[in-house]
Amino acid sequence: MDGPGLREPMLDAKSEVTNQLIDFQWKLGMAVSSNSCRSLKYPYITVVLKVADHSGQVKNKSFEMTIPQFQNFYRQFKEIAAVIETV
Amino acid sequence: AGEAKGSKALSGLLNSLAQDAFHGHRGVTEELLWSQLYPEAWPEEFCPFLEKMRGILKSIASADMDFNQLEGFLTAQTKKQGWITSDQAAVISKFWKSHKTKIQESLMNQSHWEDGLQNLSWRVDGKSQSRHSAQTHTPVAIIELEFGKRG
Repeated sequence: MDGPGLREPMLDAKSEVTNQLIDFQWKLGMAVSSNSCRSLKYPYITVVLKVADHSGQVKNKSFEMTIPQFQNFYRQFKEIAAVIETV
Repeated sequence: AGEAKGSKALSGLLNSLAQDAFHGHRGVTEELLWSQLYPEAWPEEFCPFLEKMRGILKSIASADMDFNQLEGFLTAQTKKQGWITSDQAAVISKFWKSHKTKIQESLMNQSHWEDGLQNLSWRVDGKSQSRHSAQTHTPVAIIELEFGKRG
């Protein structure tokens, strides 16, 4: 079905299928102490994803990764970026 | 022979205390530990002894003691009259040296509060079409993230 001239690509979010990634924020932290362990040396990455659903409503999702988990996460995104270039 | 038996019992005790305090395995009761490891002890002896060992183990783990700090700490504990014997100190030292890494990992895990990332799947679509939109030619990456505690 051909629509009138499209001004911008209509991604899946507007098709009510998935959410659209609006923003990606990250923070590198180092836990030095907690109630369960006074002496910690725990580096971690906190990520906040801002996603919009089909109605335009924005939701935040935050989560935490250890350094090895983050390296895996990063590697997967590099792979996605490489593939999307070839399509 | 009596000392070897005492060392083995203390090792078992420390292991159970670690499972309870650090690794979240809260199965073993005091009664079970007493009957299995120290059946000849009076209850009024065993309970304070258990608390003493729990306290020592928690202090060592909380301070994340290296081996120098550990030796200093345990020597001080043996000097306090009637507190711990040097044999007991040796068992505790051996226990910390072999379990330190695992306990540290569990403690880091306990400090990981937000959702973790359990799984990531992705797909790249070359062309998309739906009921509401015409066919697009912009490649799109669809990413599915699975979250959970202790990811």
